[in-house]
Amino acid sequence: MRRVMMLLPLLWSFAALAETPKTVLVVNSGEASLSVIDYATHSVLRKIPMLREPHHWVMTPDGRDLIIGDTVANELVVLDPDTYDIRRHITVPDPYQMLFTPDGTKFVVAGLARKQVDVYEAGTYKLLHRFHLVSMPSHLDFTPDSSTAFVSLQGTNKAAALDLRTMTVKWIAPTGPAPAGIMYHNGHLLVAIMGSDHVDVLDAKTGETVGHIPATNGAHQLFISPDHKTLFVNSRIDSTISTYDANTFKPIRTYRVPGGPDDLIFTPDGKVWATLRFVQKVGILDLQTGALETIPVGRSPHGIYIKGAVNMGGDNK
Amino acid sequence: MNIGAPFDLVAGWLQEHAVLPLLYYFGFMQWEEWSFGWSLFAVYGVAQVIAALLICWPLEHFWPVERWKDHKAEWVDVLYTLINRVGFLPLITFVLFTQIQMSINGWLADQGLLAPTLERLAPWFEGRPVITFFLYAIVLDLGEYWRHRLSHVFNWWYGLHSLHHAQRQMTFWSDDRNHVLDEVIGFLWFTVLALIMGVPPLQFPMLVLLLRLLESMSHANARISFGWLGERLLVSPRFHRAHHGTTAAGRVSVNYGGVFPWWDMIFGTADFSPTFAATGDPSAEEVLATGGYWAQQAAGLRRMWRELVAP
Repeated sequence: MRRVMMLLPLLWSFAALAETPKTVLVVNSGEASLSVIDYATHSVLRKIPMLREPHHWVMTPDGRDLIIGDTVANELVVLDPDTYDIRRHITVPDPYQMLFTPDGTKFVVAGLARKQVDVYEAGTYKLLHRFHLVSMPSHLDFTPDSSTAFVSLQGTNKAAALDLRTMTVKWIAPTGPAPAGIMYHNGHLLVAIMGSDHVDVLDAKTGETVGHIPATNGAHQLFISPDHKTLFVNSRIDSTISTYDANTFKPIRTYRVPGGPDDLIFTPDGKVWATLRFVQKVGILDLQTGALETIPVGRSPHGIYIKGAVNMGGDNK
Repeated sequence: MNIGAPFDLVAGWLQEHAVLPLLYYFGFMQWEEWSFGWSLFAVYGVAQVIAALLICWPLEHFWPVERWKDHKAEWVDVLYTLINRVGFLPLITFVLFTQIQMSINGWLADQGLLAPTLERLAPWFEGRPVITFFLYAIVLDLGEYWRHRLSHVFNWWYGLHSLHHAQRQMTFWSDDRNHVLDEVIGFLWFTVLALIMGVPPLQFPMLVLLLRLLESMSHANARISFGWLGERLLVSPRFHRAHHGTTAAGRVSVNYGGVFPWWDMIFGTADFSPTFAATGDPSAEEVLATGGYWAQQAAGLRRMWRELVAP
């Protein structure tokens, strides 16, 4: 009962949403398409073709454009966030994980296959600086003042802090094997260790490891609930989504979610939608009962978007 | 109905329950993002071997061109098939293709250029993967025609390729009996062409496997001809058998096409005579015909070297 009570705030946090979402957009990385799902009926309405291998999405700071990164096509596909009509294409090398800085002035792209983190001017998408980082820059996050970007280096078991004012590397620090999800959190940096069973806690200023949060095998991605009270950690090997108190990191509950949960999105009814990479489905997890409903989508679904879900964690944080 | 869906589900299962646990155990989880492609490649490889077996074995059993008492010389071809289609080679092929394509296309994007793709040249093709798949297959088969033809033109190259021709008991397993160096050259040739055309990475293994499934069938020891029109649309066991005939081994041969006979018709190398020739290469060392895997690899290298240093 206590666990249920801790999760109830999730239901209240969507008051900011003007209306119930109409559709959910899923990025099918393995078949170059987007699936549009009816939020109410859970039926797949249509598929939108992409060019090669889209993975993640990001909303522009003004909320007018939804951007999908197609890594193998080396392009950003700019969509209308309501109708999903394609507005234009922008050439950007290997746009894997991508985020706008919190102040909305810069657009930062981690190129997983290209060993680089590119910093662009938001709006014009003019390249300001390229950080060459070995290897496999994977996930990104920022300090709230937008001065520093953090990136996990999946291929070399490290994390890096990048000064976005001077365009220099602040520090590169060791982590556990195959670091993936990364999140700035109250002066600390949380790094999901995919090659092990925990989340590293680093001092965001120095990169020094100051603690570990136990997780299940293959800890992959980190999300914060819309009310910022609950930390979500999903795991690749054990196929779980685990919840923790975001302040104390005390475990709350672990949900078994077969099929490789990856990106998550939080919906107004207090549920979590997750892309399930291995089974070509999206899962809808009821956090109170643990029940899981699934919807077939495309091959290797990765990113998932619901309008109004900005600032709700994950790669859309 | 997506005909690839069952393969995707099997590949996903393989990824979740075998590939990722292995990567996790051995400390290679950094490669997890690509592991679905590897799994899919293996699944298609196994499916292709099973499909070839189900289709070709009855054909060879009920309508053989030749019957042999001893099948020992064929077992090495089975080994070649398993290595080349579901073993390490396809994995390396896929990993290299993905990495090379990402590097080249990323570099082009740095210069403000976009790599050519069918969909960029003609946007109508976007979202029509079945059509683009077959267009890519046709162009790649043309490329294969010229690679194959050149492997007969250059003596040193034929030194390697003679391993493929030396089999006197040719069956559907024989398509993959190639020298590993010949396979590498073939991979580079195929990959460069696929890169130039912008073949999607996850279509690449399927293209390789589809083309090679059809090529397996064309090697079958089956008395099958597709008729006047059919012989001109698709390479049949009879058409390809003429290429493996004892009189066609070496520099001057016929019927180089792998899947479509059109290229032989266009470039004047087609032979539609209705005979089923005896196969083999009389000029090859006996070990190339009946030796074990490693003995054949060594003999292929020796023959290539002799041709290279020959005056």
